[in-house]
Amino acid sequence: MHKLNRFASGHCFPELLQKEDGRIVAQISGTIWSHQYERINKRFIEVVKEPLKEDTTLLMQVKVSFHETYGMSLQIMDIDPNYALGELQRERQETLKKLQKEGLINANQNLDFPLLPKRVAIISADSSKGLSDFMQVIEANDWGYNFFTMLFPAYLQGDNASSSIIKQLNAIKRVRQHFDIVVIVRGGGGEVGLSCYNEFELCKAIASFPLPVLTGIGHSTNLTVAEMISFRNAITPTELGDFLIQAFHNFSTPVNDAIKSIKLNTKNSLSEAKAMFGSTSQSFKHLTKQYLTNTNHILLQQGRKLKTEVRENLYFNRNKVLRLQQESISSSKYGIKQEHELIARIEKNIPVLSKQTLSKNTLELDQMIRSIKLMDPSNVLKRGYSITTINGKTISDSNPAKNGDEIMTKTSTFKLVSTVKSQEHE
Amino acid sequence: MSKEVKYTEAFEELQQIVADIEDGEITVDELSIKVKRAAELIKICKSKLTSTEEDVNEILKELESGD
Repeated sequence: MHKLNRFASGHCFPELLQKEDGRIVAQISGTIWSHQYERINKRFIEVVKEPLKEDTTLLMQVKVSFHETYGMSLQIMDIDPNYALGELQRERQETLKKLQKEGLINANQNLDFPLLPKRVAIISADSSKGLSDFMQVIEANDWGYNFFTMLFPAYLQGDNASSSIIKQLNAIKRVRQHFDIVVIVRGGGGEVGLSCYNEFELCKAIASFPLPVLTGIGHSTNLTVAEMISFRNAITPTELGDFLIQAFHNFSTPVNDAIKSIKLNTKNSLSEAKAMFGSTSQSFKHLTKQYLTNTNHILLQQGRKLKTEVRENLYFNRNKVLRLQQESISSSKYGIKQEHELIARIEKNIPVLSKQTLSKNTLELDQMIRSIKLMDPSNVLKRGYSITTINGKTISDSNPAKNGDEIMTKTSTFKLVSTVKSQEHE
Repeated sequence: MSKEVKYTEAFEELQQIVADIEDGEITVDELSIKVKRAAELIKICKSKLTSTEEDVNEILKELESGD
């Protein structure tokens, strides 16, 4: 069915095509009367969860009719929703196959989930019940967790949903440094019109998105491909919100545990250290005391020993000194006595020796006087000798006498003056 | 992104300190420094849970300029 062509009257005049390899091989127009359409569409929604859609392959029961004016057409009596369901299933499989081929099936799921999904880009509709459920969970949490959210409004079901969501994904991609995750939230809109989530283009956009895309589309039928390939799927927006809160808990809990653990362990290690210090200081005290006592004891012992030894030494030395004193006294007494004797002896000898020396000297002196007397010139003259002089000097080679010179001859009693008549040198 | 990295680092550093303290690998000398550091990290982590740093107007501006 290419075009549905529903008119205001409620009647539809669809264009029916048969294609082979993209080429039209047969074409005819059809008719669905208003009351038939209502019934068929209702069953479709019940079974397929989608209204009758254009450009889908359908299995229908038709009656060939001919009208003079409108020509031949096929009057559609019924359409098999189960066949359509199979078709949708086929589309779903096709999408999965294509994603597989492009290696995108797990692409989004392989991204790292942020430690804290704080900054959330929301693709939803303003009026969506799902959005308000989601916001309720993450904004009114009891733990004061603060999310940053920004809504990127889009159609969430029906024909325009796919392109509308893709457009917003592209917008988010441009500002992705501001976001940690993307959520697609829908709910409260019934279970119809969700086949867009099986469309390849949308699924590809989600799978290849650089941030984790989480879905909370809110329905109870089979998972759509988009939900399968998204980073994580929650059945409802509320559950999705809970998941994000849980991620905060997952972060918060270890932080709180860290606080507890640090408190406990710090306290423990401090008290351990304190106990160790206590026992060390205790044993230090004990050892010090013991050491002091020991040392004191040794010191006292040494002191006593020293005292005794000093006393002994003193006694010994005093005796020695006394002995020496006595010795020296007696020896000096003896020495003095000897000196006295010597002096006395000398004293006694002195007059004798003096006399001897004196008389000896007197004798010598007398001798000398006698000799001197003998040599006196007057005594010589008396013995008959005379002295002849010229000009007062004795005659010699240095004071010769010439003939005719007056010479004077002195005897003991006379002075004779003579004239030299001759002379003979001896 | 840089904020997130810093944050992850803070979290990891905190975990490391806790592990070290639990394993008794920290001496009393280091203890007060480590505990002080841990307190800072905890503050960073806790404030991250409850604070908001993004500016909507900024993002909107960037969205417009990107078109």
